[in-house]
Amino acid sequence: MTIKEFTLPDVGEGVAEGELVTWLVAPGDRVTEDQPVAEVETDKALVEVPSRYDGVVEELFVEEGEVVPVGDVIISFRVDEDGDGDEGREEDEGREGDDGEEGDPDPEAESPPKEPDAPAGRAFAPPSARRLARELGVDVAAVRGSGPGGRVTEADVREHADAADADTGTEDEAGAGTADGPKPVDIDASDRRSAVSKRDGTTAGAAEGSGTPTSEPAGRETTLATPATRKLAAELGVDLDDVPTDATREGEAVVDAAAVRAYAEADADAEAGAEPTTATSPAAASSEPDAGEDRPTEETVPYRGVRRTIGERMERSVYTAPHVTHHDTAEVDALVTAREELKAKAEAAGVKLTYMPFVLKAVVAGLKAHPYLNSELREDEEEIALKKEYNVGIAVATDAGLMVPVIDDVDEKGLFELAAELTDLASRAREREITPAEMKGGTFTITNFGAIGGEYATPIINYPETAILGLGAIEERPVVRDRSDVDGGVLDEEDETTVVPAPTLPLSLSIDHRVVDGAVAAAFANTVMEHLENPLLLLNE
Amino acid sequence: MVVGDIATGTEVLVIGGGPGGYVAAIRAAQNGLDTTLVEKDAYGGACLNRGCIPSKALITATGLAHEAGTAEFMGIHADPAIDFAKTVEWKDDVVDRLTGGVEKLCKANGVNLIEGEASFVDAHTARVAHGGDGQGSESIEFEHAIVATGSRPVEIPGFSFAEEHVWSSTEALAADSVPDRLAIVGAGYIGMELATVYAKLDAEVTVVEMLDDVLPPYEDDVSRVVRKRAEELGVEFRFGEGASGWSEANDGGYLLETETEDGEESSYPADRILVAVGRSPVTDALDLDNAGIETDDGGFIETDDRTRTAVEHIHAVGDVAGEPMLAHAASTEGIVAAEVIAGEPAALDQQAIPAAVFTDPEVATAGLTEAEAEEAGFDVAVGQMPFNASGRALTTGHTDGFVRIVADAEAGFVLGGQIVGPEASELIAEVTLAIEMGATLEDVAGTVHTHPTLAEAVMEAVENAQGQAIHTLNR
Repeated sequence: MTIKEFTLPDVGEGVAEGELVTWLVAPGDRVTEDQPVAEVETDKALVEVPSRYDGVVEELFVEEGEVVPVGDVIISFRVDEDGDGDEGREEDEGREGDDGEEGDPDPEAESPPKEPDAPAGRAFAPPSARRLARELGVDVAAVRGSGPGGRVTEADVREHADAADADTGTEDEAGAGTADGPKPVDIDASDRRSAVSKRDGTTAGAAEGSGTPTSEPAGRETTLATPATRKLAAELGVDLDDVPTDATREGEAVVDAAAVRAYAEADADAEAGAEPTTATSPAAASSEPDAGEDRPTEETVPYRGVRRTIGERMERSVYTAPHVTHHDTAEVDALVTAREELKAKAEAAGVKLTYMPFVLKAVVAGLKAHPYLNSELREDEEEIALKKEYNVGIAVATDAGLMVPVIDDVDEKGLFELAAELTDLASRAREREITPAEMKGGTFTITNFGAIGGEYATPIINYPETAILGLGAIEERPVVRDRSDVDGGVLDEEDETTVVPAPTLPLSLSIDHRVVDGAVAAAFANTVMEHLENPLLLLNE
Repeated sequence: MVVGDIATGTEVLVIGGGPGGYVAAIRAAQNGLDTTLVEKDAYGGACLNRGCIPSKALITATGLAHEAGTAEFMGIHADPAIDFAKTVEWKDDVVDRLTGGVEKLCKANGVNLIEGEASFVDAHTARVAHGGDGQGSESIEFEHAIVATGSRPVEIPGFSFAEEHVWSSTEALAADSVPDRLAIVGAGYIGMELATVYAKLDAEVTVVEMLDDVLPPYEDDVSRVVRKRAEELGVEFRFGEGASGWSEANDGGYLLETETEDGEESSYPADRILVAVGRSPVTDALDLDNAGIETDDGGFIETDDRTRTAVEHIHAVGDVAGEPMLAHAASTEGIVAAEVIAGEPAALDQQAIPAAVFTDPEVATAGLTEAEAEEAGFDVAVGQMPFNASGRALTTGHTDGFVRIVADAEAGFVLGGQIVGPEASELIAEVTLAIEMGATLEDVAGTVHTHPTLAEAVMEAVENAQGQAIHTLNR
């Protein structure tokens, strides 16, 4: 409930004052919108002044017989806040509906005071607003202007059009993004929510439940807007794709500053209304939508903790280091055989031997031959630090996200030692028992996405390292071999080569191109492959 | 199809390359429409070739010479000699540069240019006859057309422009020498601009006007300033007299014969007679009826606020579509036509189309006069600022005239402005913007204006309308 004051409206014909002849209502009377509340006589006519609100008369400020200048407060009403907003819209609907319909006996159409009384129906509106009115099919002369002297702004036109839409549209559309209705509720401007919670189905649901009109995000894919409008949207924390608009340009939705502001306000109002019933903790935000909510279009999860740390680091890496990814495939028959032979021994020693220890050793061989891949670019110092340690991180997928425990001094450890350490780190990473110290100090990283499946990827460097090696799945794939090396599988007597199945390991090596050029990356990959294809060479490491 | 008649197709056919047509063509092309522009004569139309631009060049040149020769009060003693041939050459260079620019702009925007004279075959076909014998013609099928054929000076009975000594504005702007005696029929804006030019070129100028003052459509106090200044320049006025004919005089010159309404006859010796009584639309060669379009009694094509003719896919813009016959109005209409064709929500809904007269001093107006505003039902507030109270005007030596602002007394909306005085044509832009934006007196008064400038006079007039002027007494 709020008190609304009502001033003597401009009763037309350039009249500056009028004599309040008769009050048609008394304090305590309930009035409906457009119900006459007073008779006012000007030097030109006796006119009835209609109420602009639904409500109860609170106070009369003027005696009968008194001469009142236009713009003075004459009466106040107690108005139901919610109702007020809706009524205001209905009034406009009524007007719009009347337009062009013949013989409509609606009394509203006859109520004398039209807000800005411009002779000959002239509307004071800038060209931009007039064009928008045409675009939205609005008669600009029928729009109530909110600017100085009743000047019609683009927002006024939009509001008018939205109100007209509400007339023909569904309930939902009526609520969507109108700047209409909600009167400024006393909320702190700093109380605006982020775009994340704005999309939250539960919040919107609660807002609707409380009866406050809300602005439903339009959720387009692309939206056109001027740079100034984009800036404003950023300032208000509004996603342009969510701002409702009917305007289009070449088929794309166009949003202007007024619409952004209207959306931000409506949104702030909606959330202010939702406040008491909706907790704003992350838990609540990620909870299942209310049972009462019909078919939420999305579920939101907080972007926090490990997820955000990963995100931030990926962002930093990709936007700092120009990535180049080199792909190659190692033919690993010998590696498979070697591992098979060693597996039993490892088990006897209580270790599970995967291919990873072999890869670690092969990588160290590569890093020793090509030290720039084991380096860190320090831009500020204008130097590249070539690391003499071989601390290799292993990317591990956990429920909470990607973690990269580091195995120090790979060059100093044997295969079984590495295997044991890997097993330990990986399991503790998944249990989230790993300490931050164990994820630091890496000089190179290996990511084994092949454990889940796939051949090639474009790994993102674990910045500030310089390179990362991605491993595809070791599987049998067709390879071309010299016939002399192969038994059977002859396709053509004439051919010197033939295609046979063989276990292969796809490699994806991403490098920071600021530090390493493609040729070096390829040479590194060749060294690694050489050691994977001839595991006996690993004895040298 | 006849031999030598090539058929082509285009989405938008624009007929006429003046400020209405070329602007429409460029905007249509910018909107991705395949656009063809047909021009029979010279790109830029009357404005660039025979109107606005050459007249402004001559006005500036003669004004400069005159000003230098009449600045003794500033201590400047000079007697500038005008090498008229050189002045004409410079003027022609300016015109060539601009028309060449128009052609380049059209091409750069992908407009197909065709030289020739277009006429309608039916509502979707036009034939373009190329100039000269044996040049052939071509048919163009179009989805939309924009007629922008402009206007030409009106002839009056007894005064054929074919006579060497009878000039239209076209000849007056293309003359290669200055006649000793020039008689001008009509004291409208064209007559007055050229009277000023030739008076400053030391011709003896006599202006004959049927009505009782110069610049008939303007308010009396506006016209008076221009008339008095012209009289100071030596222009003789004969009001209330209409041109009835001419005869040869004994001295090898001619006599312009006039008659009052009461039948009183007079004659004025002249070497050239300039007839400047208005312009009429060019529609005669268009075969508009083949397209189903009629013209009104004046020969104008009627259009709606989206520049559409009775045949909806054919638009008409510029002088051919009626008043106001102004280049900037034509361009505005051309843009609207192109955007309407492209499906944009454009319309002619301008609150004010400014107009300027480049006399000495200049006159410029926008929006409503006081009388028009009252007529429209406004409670009118008017404010005025004379240039002789403007510091900047005093320092230029040009203090004739004033700025007047007409506003709605209640809401304060600026409704119109009339400016007569130095740089009026430039100053009116601010008033026009205020009207178009729905600005109030307070908005303009609250906008800081540079000191010392002529533009301050606009602010002062606004403050005067508010009853809050500093440098004038508030009325």
